[in-house]
Amino acid sequence: MLIIDSVSKDLGEFRLKNVSLSVGDSEYFIILGPTGAGKTILLETIAGIYGPDSGRIILNDRDITDVPAKDRNIGMVYQDYMLFPHLTVEENIGFGLKSRRADPDFIHGKVQESAELLNISHLLHRHPGTLSGGEQQRTAIARALVMEPDALLLDEPLSALDVKTRESLRGELARIHEATGTTIIHITHNFEEVFDLADRVAVMQQGSVIQVGTPDEIFRKPNSDFVADFVGMENLFSGEGSPGGIVTVEHLQIEVENGMPGPVSLAIRPEDIHLSKTAPPRNGKNILSGCVRTVRQTGGIVRIGVDAGLPFQVSLTRQGFEEAGVGPGDLVYLSFWPSVAHAYPPGDSGGT
Amino acid sequence: MKRRNASRFKAATVVVSLLIAAFIVLVLLGVVTHSPLDVFIECLLSEEIQFAIRLSILTSVISTLFCILVAVPVAYALARYTFPGKFLMNMVMDIPMALPPLVAGVGLLLFFGVSPMGKSLAAMGLTFVFTPLGIIMAQFFVNLPYMLRVARSTFQNVNPRYENVAKTLGCTDAQAFWRVTLPMSWNGLLAGAVITWSKGIGEFGAALMLAGATRMKTETLPLSLFLNMSTGKLEVGISAATILILISIVSLYVFERYGGSTHAY
Repeated sequence: MLIIDSVSKDLGEFRLKNVSLSVGDSEYFIILGPTGAGKTILLETIAGIYGPDSGRIILNDRDITDVPAKDRNIGMVYQDYMLFPHLTVEENIGFGLKSRRADPDFIHGKVQESAELLNISHLLHRHPGTLSGGEQQRTAIARALVMEPDALLLDEPLSALDVKTRESLRGELARIHEATGTTIIHITHNFEEVFDLADRVAVMQQGSVIQVGTPDEIFRKPNSDFVADFVGMENLFSGEGSPGGIVTVEHLQIEVENGMPGPVSLAIRPEDIHLSKTAPPRNGKNILSGCVRTVRQTGGIVRIGVDAGLPFQVSLTRQGFEEAGVGPGDLVYLSFWPSVAHAYPPGDSGGT
Repeated sequence: MKRRNASRFKAATVVVSLLIAAFIVLVLLGVVTHSPLDVFIECLLSEEIQFAIRLSILTSVISTLFCILVAVPVAYALARYTFPGKFLMNMVMDIPMALPPLVAGVGLLLFFGVSPMGKSLAAMGLTFVFTPLGIIMAQFFVNLPYMLRVARSTFQNVNPRYENVAKTLGCTDAQAFWRVTLPMSWNGLLAGAVITWSKGIGEFGAALMLAGATRMKTETLPLSLFLNMSTGKLEVGISAATILILISIVSLYVFERYGGSTHAY
């Protein structure tokens, strides 16, 4: 269990403001946030590169706030690998065990084991400069894992890789997590990594944690305009809520899952809205009618802008789009369950 | 029309470059080819030049070692840490490089000759004025900034995240430096050492002031060149100059060869 308790750190350019998180044993915890949100300095503070200005860090019931990095047993992997260029892959992986003055035979065995886990056994004699990006990152992960760390920190580990390598290494990360049960904290901008890997997610903005939850909670039940916008809630409206579960946006009344009185923000994911040319049966759904304004093809997804009194964005798969058979100017019906319409207090900072 | 202008411009710049390059080569060739080979070899084998070569190599190697010893920690501090007075310190460290060597020499002469500290050093047996020790001191003082600047930029080119990773892998600050930063800086430091050594072996002004120009006592190659040219022994002076030219060219080559690769990381 890793507990970050009210940690603040000001490095001038980047800062942490009163960050509190707790990460369970063997949990895969992802931190999302825009550039400059303070994600890397949070990891570096956990690793012990910086001491916090205030707050405490507790790892497995031990207060490590003032423990130097070398004695924390926390592994760190950066986006750009940071493999020691003057050492071979084998020496890189064995670097930490050598610091611990382990027996050379023991180091050799452990390095082999770790290299096998990452499928880089055939590269052990090579120097990092001769490896591909994916191979370098595997080496960096092996170098951290061979120490059997109490927590493994991954700072955008897949961001520098090409799409294909990224996907295969993402699968590897899931497999390694499964096999070793290591507690992992992983920073990313990439939503696929969140859904594929994360048990829980924290969203950071300007040095603060805004929301913590399961991927589904973060993506469907944002607690603030910032999170809603960041996770791609394209239908974001402000309206007036009522305890009965109706939000009034301009003249439209939308039934939502969670009633709350007063001014609220309302968020609906574009892929949660059904679009049809004929009016669907109500069955407890929200049904709106409107006119198609724009159709944009983006890879496998078609994004349709509909003016239903409010500007709505709907995402359809290519097949769904062909079945719907709509084009600009067509009259269409939008339908969605109250459960996908999420209301939260307006503002950028989150309710907590 | 436009094209012709561009090519004329190109031609003009290239011609100037060629002329200057030719000028430099001619000047150096003039020195090297001045004396016939047998005279040159005879001078080389003369006791005086032999002495100058030995003294030059000895003093420059020692002063370079001291420069490395001092520059590595100082450059690391300036590259990695923030502390009060850092900006000023950076400037102060560079002053000896900007100073005319004669002025540096006068300063050193006064410091070691008449200041209480210099006198107490002399009392302890460390006499710098008019001794070979003074040559080492003069070379050290004037050339430290070269080593320092190269070392500083070398360390700055090593991403501190390498050290961060090393620390999470069980290293203290000092071990991270020793096991990661230093080996990664090897080429840069080597290049810096070579340029410092080559500046040291050619050091004249400051050494002349502090150590004087005593034949067969503080006579390094540049001092030998100066003494023999001023006493009309042209051939001996030129043989010293030829050696200095060869040393410069070789060091420049080594510097370019290894200095350039410091940016690889």
